[in-house]
Parts: sequence; C-alpha cells; structure tokens
Amino acid sequence: MTRRIGGIRPALLAGCLLLAGLTVAGCSSGKASVPTDWSIFWRSIFQPDGLILSGLWLTVSIAVISQTLGLILGILAALGRMAKAWPLRAVAGIYIWLFRGTPLLVQIMLVYFGLPAVGLYDFPTFTIPGINVAVPNAVQAGIVALSLNEGAYMAEIVRAGILSIDPGQTEAAKSLGMTYGQTMRRIVLPQAARVIIPPLGNEFNNMLKTTSLLVVIGVRELFVIFSYKNTTGSTSLQPFALFLACAVWYLMLTTIWGFIQARIERRFGRGAAGAVEEEGFLSRVFGSRGSSGSTVEGR
Amino acid sequence: MAGNLLGAIGGVPLPETDVVVDARDVNKWFGRLHVLKDVSLQVKRQETVVVIGPSGSGKTTFIRCVNHLEKIQSGRIFVNGHLIGYRESSGGKLVEDKEKNIARQRQEIGMVFQRFNLFPHMTAIGNISEAPIQVRGVAREEAEETARALLERVGLAAKAGSYPAQLSGGQQQRVAIARALAMKPALMLFDEPTSALDPEMIGEVLEVMKELAREGMTMIVVSHEMGFAREVANRVVMMDEGQVIEEGSPDQVFSAPAQERTQAFLSKIL
Repeated sequence: MTRRIGGIRPALLAGCLLLAGLTVAGCSSGKASVPTDWSIFWRSIFQPDGLILSGLWLTVSIAVISQTLGLILGILAALGRMAKAWPLRAVAGIYIWLFRGTPLLVQIMLVYFGLPAVGLYDFPTFTIPGINVAVPNAVQAGIVALSLNEGAYMAEIVRAGILSIDPGQTEAAKSLGMTYGQTMRRIVLPQAARVIIPPLGNEFNNMLKTTSLLVVIGVRELFVIFSYKNTTGSTSLQPFALFLACAVWYLMLTTIWGFIQARIERRFGRGAAGAVEEEGFLSRVFGSRGSSGSTVEGR
Repeated sequence: MAGNLLGAIGGVPLPETDVVVDARDVNKWFGRLHVLKDVSLQVKRQETVVVIGPSGSGKTTFIRCVNHLEKIQSGRIFVNGHLIGYRESSGGKLVEDKEKNIARQRQEIGMVFQRFNLFPHMTAIGNISEAPIQVRGVAREEAEETARALLERVGLAAKAGSYPAQLSGGQQQRVAIARALAMKPALMLFDEPTSALDPEMIGEVLEVMKELAREGMTMIVVSHEMGFAREVANRVVMMDEGQVIEEGSPDQVFSAPAQERTQAFLSKIL
C-alpha cells in the first residue's frame, strides 16, 4: 500500500493542487480585451442569417452523403473481408488498414491537394442536374475523403453485425436453394441491421461533427462560417459568442439525430424478442448508449 | 391436424429415379477426425428412413452432406440421379460445383433443423413464402396463398402473422416444415427435429411428419423417436463411429438387433 495523505495518494493530491492553481491563475489574468456581445450569440441561434443557414445545409448534406457512401463501402469491405477468394480479402483488408491507420485530416489533404497534384484524379466541375447547384471541388473531395474513411470504420461494424447472426440462418437459407447474394440481402443483412444500427447512429453523430475538419480545404460548412464571422465585419473578435453558438448548432443537429435514430431502431426491432424497448427522453439525449470513444482528433 | 399436406402445395414432383438418394462410399474428415467412413446408403422413392446412433456417430453430418451443407472428401452422393455438390473432373476427381448449381440442387431437397432456424425478422407467412418468391420466382399473392394453405394443414392457420419469437418451439418447427415443403422438394431431410423441443410439443411435430410420410414424401430422418420409427419408417439405419453398422426394418432393428453395439445403444435409449 502506498502511503496516503488524508486517504488520498500523494501524486493525485499534487496533481489536483497543480490543476487548481492553474485554473485560478488563468481566471485572474485580467479582464477580457473585448467584452462578449451576447446579442451576437442569440442572433446566431434565433435569427441565423443566410451564411449560417447555408453552412448548416452544407454540413448536413455532406454528412448524410458521406455516411451513406461510407455505409455502402463498409458493407462491400465487410463482405470482402469474409470472402472465400483471398484477393478480395486482401483488397478489403488493405483498404481498412490504410484508412483506419492514418489521420482523417491527412486523408482529406491527400485527396484534395495530393491527387490532382500528381495527376491521379482531378475533381471535375460538377453541377447537380435539375436544380442547377454547382458542387465545388472542395466539397467533392471532402465527401470522397469522409466516405472512404467512414467506410473503413463501417466495415468492421458491419462485419461484427454479420458475425453476430446465427450460422443456422445462412444454412436454412442455403437449404432452401437461396444463393449467397439472396441469403445476404434477404436474410443476413436485415438481421444484422439491428446490431449495426446503434453503432451506425454513433458514427453519424460523429460524422455531423467531423465535417468541421473540412475547414482545412475551405469547404464552407457550419464551422467555417463561424470562423469566418469571427474575423470579419460587425461580428469580428467575438470568439466566445460565436463558437458557443456554433457548438449549440452542432448540438441541435446531433440531438435531432438522436430522436431519428431512436425511431429507426424501433422499426428494425421487428420480430426480435425484447427488442422493442422505449427509451425515455433523458436517456435518449444524454445517452447511456456506449460512447464511441473515437474523437475527431482520433481519426 | 389431419389433412393433406402435399395437397396444399399441389403435390410434389415424383422423384425422377427409383433410388432418390444414392450415397456411395462417402468419406469425410473434420481436420484429422474421420467422421464418415465409407458410408453408403440408398433411399428409394417414397421411403422413410430413420437414422439412429449415439452422438458423434456421424448421422447429422451425413444428412448435411446430402444437401451439401458439408463437403465430402471422397465418395459420391446422388439425389434424383444428380451428383450433389460436385462435378467429376476428367481424372475422376471431385471438383466442387458452382455455387449457383449447388443452390439449384438444394431447391429439390427440403431440410428441417434441430433448432428450427426460422427467419426471426419475418412472419410465419413470410418465412414460408420467402424462398418460393425469391428462388422460384412465384408471384407474391400465389406464394402467400400456398403458405396459408400449408399453415392450415400444420394446424397454425391462426399464426400466419406471428413472428417466430411469438411461437412455441413446436409451432416454430411446424412452420419450419411448412417452409421446406413450400419449395415442393422431392426429398426431405430431418435433422433431430424434436430434440430441442419440450416433451409436450414433440407429439405435434411428429404428427406432421407422420402425415408427410403417409402421403408418400421421401424422407431421411435423424431421430431417436422410436415410436415414430416403428410407426412410419420403412427402414432404420444404425450408425456408429462414422459407419453404418446395421440396417433393416424397424422390427428387425429394434426387436432383434444383430449388432452388439446396436443392442447396447438401444438399451440406453428405450
């Protein structure tokens, strides 16, 4: 046993004291240079201008598109990893290894600046037909990078989901004459979905926030808009009001998603014993839902 | 529970050959474990064969080879005259067949599992109509109509919309039998269909199987239900340590077994 002071280990005590000291020192280091203008905060929330709305729209669209593509990639990579043919296993394995093993920030830079620089791929000028909205190169690159990265993470989630299904299900499907494709599509994946969806929701929650990394290639999503406001015009040099408002916007997005996720999970609980469980408002929002642990920097 | 099971699906095609299952010198290894040793077995059209034997004797492995859920290392298994799971190369060696061909062969072979293996995300109707729709390309309404008729014949008309989790074990197994029948198979395999059931539910499943046997379905049944074997089996096959050690009529095998190992086994389960 280590010797304790008042029941606390000396090292822990020293650490706490140091932390407390630093906090006090930080607080007392003088008045803020520019007083916080709270009207900027409230207006950013309740009367968002066109810039904020466009940023919000871009964040949500990029997140939805990237998550969808990531899910598709993830299913393909998961099936690849479990394939009988070794080349498929190798390709899927290398893909997952590369994209989980390198920082997302680096991947974004590589895709946007790296690929065109060596002439491997040039992002074309792309206009969505029908509504005539141009998609900037940076947005395209951002979606590509986020999807590829997400696919590598989803692959492991999908694989775990598939492995969780009783092999008897595959055998029953086979015995009825179903092919591999039919068995996967009709029997295994719909059941695996129930296992995949909670972590998928977690991934999308992450995705909504991770889009802010696209700041490095100048995609004008929510975070970039608030950073821009902090440097220009009447709202300049109001970092506390602006970034607090920015945080609130992200919080709203993830909260709304939490409710949508709950509905989806209920829908996919069909037929499973004990799968239909109502979750209260509080536990839904503050979540006893196993945190993902993967932070933005962690990617 | 009376009624005409096969009538519900418009009858099954009569097997093309007199010998529906023809297994010749089948050998299988799990790693170094030799689980099937030169197993040969013939099942004739409309015959019900019950396979008995201690656990680990290879009886379940054997019927899983019949629809190629397990690979074999040597020997041949023919169902309806077709080699199952393999093509013979020019050198006479076994080469595993294409997945699509194997799937097609399995359409003719129904299987009922010990643990039912119903699809939990589908209702009883959905379970039964799934393969006819997906595999045979039957129209949904027609497949569901057939499924309803089958459910009625196995005594579960009221459970059409129930999910497997809402059914008892015996009910699930009856749905599983209906699911296999919906593909109009020429042969039915039963892998210990009552072993996972509570005693009071065994009867209802055996009733359906007896009815099926009486209507002339060709069946291989791995089971220790002696009452069932006595009543409907044309032949009883005793397996031990990966070999068929004895076969004959139920009377012969149960009352006057020729092999000592059969006597010893029967004395434990009767």
